[in-house]
Amino acid sequence: MKYLIVMFFMIAILTGCAKKIDVSPQKSTNTTLIEESEVDEFADEFDDENREVFDPLQGYNRWMTDANDKIYMYLFNPVSEGYATVVPKTARIGLSNFFHNLKFPIRFSNNLLQLKFDASMKELGRFMINSTVGVLGFVDVAKMEGIEPQEEDFGQTLGYYGVGSGFHVVLPFFGPSNLRDTLGFGVDTWMDPVSTGDLEYQAVEKSAQSLGITTGYYVNKNSLHLGEYENLKKDALDLYLFFRDSYEQKRAKEIEE
Amino acid sequence: MLKKTLLLTLLSMSMLFGIAESNIKTEMSSKIENITTILQDKMLPLASKKEQIYLNIDSVFDYKTMSKISLGKKWKRLSADEKNRFTTAFEAKLKNSYFEKLELYTDQKVRVKELEKIKATRIQLHSDIVGVEETYEVIYKFFKVKNSSDWLIYDVEITGVSIIQTYRKQFAEFLKSKSFDELLISL
Repeated sequence: MKYLIVMFFMIAILTGCAKKIDVSPQKSTNTTLIEESEVDEFADEFDDENREVFDPLQGYNRWMTDANDKIYMYLFNPVSEGYATVVPKTARIGLSNFFHNLKFPIRFSNNLLQLKFDASMKELGRFMINSTVGVLGFVDVAKMEGIEPQEEDFGQTLGYYGVGSGFHVVLPFFGPSNLRDTLGFGVDTWMDPVSTGDLEYQAVEKSAQSLGITTGYYVNKNSLHLGEYENLKKDALDLYLFFRDSYEQKRAKEIEE
Repeated sequence: MLKKTLLLTLLSMSMLFGIAESNIKTEMSSKIENITTILQDKMLPLASKKEQIYLNIDSVFDYKTMSKISLGKKWKRLSADEKNRFTTAFEAKLKNSYFEKLELYTDQKVRVKELEKIKATRIQLHSDIVGVEETYEVIYKFFKVKNSSDWLIYDVEITGVSIIQTYRKQFAEFLKSKSFDELLISL
């Protein structure tokens, strides 16, 4: 019995000491603890910075990012700049609207596939208004009336049905993409009115024509966004990682919507 | 010069720190409007444009918290001096990048939209930059300052891309192979 009481006291004293030891460092580092909890408080909103991204093509991707950068800086951008000095802005916006209107089947079907009927109807309405009142789509009358375009592509459709992004792939000319979106891009191109295909509305016959139109489309588009790429580039410590993460974040958000 | 700096510090001191919840939308709208006016003022030299714009945003952007989040776990391992040096460098980088972006969109319209309360200590202000072709969504993310009723911005999201998240990933990757001092230099 005596033995038990002694043991009890010993345990009590020991735990008491332990508690004291626990308490004292907490007090002395109170400020750092607060700071740490503040960082942790945000941690769940941000991706773990040390999480390894599955990126088996990284070597090729980095190489392609550099190649695309050179193509852009030394070929595509100068051409767009030259084009922008010759063609007035209003005309370029008109052309951009025309192309955008032409690509209606892609947005419409992908909205339908994602069961976004409301958005599909908006797209249909936009196409009808802009093709007629908007003179073959050159004027975006619908937007002026507050009917905004409902951008959807097949990559987003796949994402909507739970298909993961797969690893990151940098495409020649087109830039950042991933396995899912590359497949999606293929399907969208197949539906694209300006690609050669067997679909009813595809009038382009030769792939050279299609390539010409597509190049024209991108030069025109870029002429309305001059300086943006160079501007973005300045934010990058590592160009490849910067574009990869921005792209994946943007796509995740687009699919979520 | 001294007078001017003194005045500026006083001004910025008086505006420090944060916005009350009920004022977020109105105050941000007026800030954005101020910034647009400053940008479109053709008489104003570049340096004063920058100065005035920074004066507008300094009272709502919490650069220290942004620095903390961008470095993640690494932050705790820094000395007080390193923390300060990093925050100064990162603040300059963020401001400069913000200003250069603004310059690109001088004649575009900004539409301030709704406030969204994510939880008790987080609010997001949605806004649109209406471009010639597309509309870009910009979200200002606020957090409630501890033991205060003021709110500050800890991140800005442009078309779904979080500025701080993107830096966070790049910093972590950079520090895997390079030193902290090299990071400061590259900023």
